[in-house]
Amino acid sequence: MNERIRKYIDELFADAPKTRKAMEWKEEVVVNTMDKYRDLINEGYNEEDAWQMVIHSIGDVTELFEELREENPLSLSEELRKKRALLNAAAAGLYILAGVVYLAWMLIARWNFFYMYDEVMMEVGLILAALICIPPTCMLIYTANMYPNFSKKEDNLVENYKEARYLRNRARAVKTSISAIIWLVTLIIYFIVSFVTAEWHVTWIAFLIGGCAQAIAFLVFSLKHDK
Amino acid sequence: MSITSDILRGHTEAIILAHLLEQDSYGYQINKDIMKKTDNRCELKEATLYSAFRRLEQAGYIGTYWGDEKVGARRRYYSITEEGRRAYQDYKREWEEAKAVIDQLLK
Repeated sequence: MNERIRKYIDELFADAPKTRKAMEWKEEVVVNTMDKYRDLINEGYNEEDAWQMVIHSIGDVTELFEELREENPLSLSEELRKKRALLNAAAAGLYILAGVVYLAWMLIARWNFFYMYDEVMMEVGLILAALICIPPTCMLIYTANMYPNFSKKEDNLVENYKEARYLRNRARAVKTSISAIIWLVTLIIYFIVSFVTAEWHVTWIAFLIGGCAQAIAFLVFSLKHDK
Repeated sequence: MSITSDILRGHTEAIILAHLLEQDSYGYQINKDIMKKTDNRCELKEATLYSAFRRLEQAGYIGTYWGDEKVGARRRYYSITEEGRRAYQDYKREWEEAKAVIDQLLK
């Protein structure tokens, strides 16, 4: 009988919008209806009467479809899409800016404006460019995580599995990004401090600190994830 | 009968809030409680129940989570929020007033 109930409700929901909310609602109706049917049978109703009663108590579901259609969670809202596009464009612009700054610095370095050694000037230019690269990298990671691309379409095993895999992949991507940023920053700090202090025999400790920072970041990340 | 069901439909949300005050619950359980309390005179249709849940959720009066049943299908549970409790108290007061007025008018 459970198959008959599911089939009937599948047909009722044939015109329902293909949204997560609508699919979850359908599952709710299926479970409620099966529970009710089982209770009626236990109360002593015969199968056909119980069937008629549970079908009657579903009511008119179609009038809610229109309401559910309006808020389609599978697509981002216009505003969010715009924000995301804006952030991506700004990030690309900043990367280009980093390149331009580097080239411009090279030109300035050739005039030897600051009375420094050429090598030092080159390094400083590289560091400047790398520093400018930090904000766009953060922005790209932010957009990738704030506005997920995958939404669960159907409440079944395959989709659950897909979603779990997607979440795992995303977690791995975030971890990779975190460690990339940490090591980039470590490298920049290492060079800046080393050039400023010229204490090369001490400054390598920066990498140990970087390693610690990565371990802590991963720990915080997995703690948050397990919650 | 039609007046009764019309009036009841207008109070679906408050009836659900009143049930969630006692404990978190899921759709069929709420419906079963309603039937028991009213000696099977009143039953909410699935469509009515769900559209009420939706409105309550949008208003921030209820929250929802998936239960962790070990056997059988997973159920979606509903729980009342602080705002929901306040809304219920307001609703109850207004209903008492309306009831008093209508009783006077229909005397």
